[in-house]
Amino acid sequence: MMATILNVVLYLALIFHIVFIGIALWRVWRGQNVIDRLIGFDLTGMLTLAILVLVSLIEQNSIYVDVALGLAALGFISTIALAKYIADEQMF
Amino acid sequence: MDLVLQLIAILAVVSGTMFSALGVLGYIRLPDVYARLHATGKVGVFGVVLLLVAAVAWTPLGLGKGFVLIALLLIAGPVTSHALASAAYRIGIPVKGALRDDLARDIERAKDDMKNLQQNTDPSG
Repeated sequence: MMATILNVVLYLALIFHIVFIGIALWRVWRGQNVIDRLIGFDLTGMLTLAILVLVSLIEQNSIYVDVALGLAALGFISTIALAKYIADEQMF
Repeated sequence: MDLVLQLIAILAVVSGTMFSALGVLGYIRLPDVYARLHATGKVGVFGVVLLLVAAVAWTPLGLGKGFVLIALLLIAGPVTSHALASAAYRIGIPVKGALRDDLARDIERAKDDMKNLQQNTDPSG
């Protein structure tokens, strides 16, 4: 009983997160300025992370959390580097 | 025991999805860059972390791996938001509806102090 409810909730959350990624990418496409687009990029990375965790919950397989760990570290470093590049007009 | 863990997973997934929905809603509806940054910080710090709590409760996942990822997100999220807000201020994006700007006053004061210091310690002048 509880497992059925959990499955329904997980699939609904997966659909919601895919819709959120669509909205975030639309705002990256139609953004107002460069920082706005960079925020949308960071938001897309976070939502992709959430989708990986949800797929790991649905498939009952923890390999997706390893992928999510790598994605979180790379997304963090790329966002920091791009913000510094935009502010200082040089990377280092 | 399984029932309790599944209940924790359901509650965590539902509240995490609600936080993500609020973050995306704030991202498309709020008026300027700094307010939007405030909203999207919630997606990284609450949405994904609550989903990870569900994953720790209800997958064959080592506790260590989940907690390492939670700690990474809790440290990286505020740092990312701070770097983005600092970059936005430094390239001159205006704050909509701001009544005062203390940081600009402080930067001016620091520049004046630096100029006075250089004049006073200049050996040739």
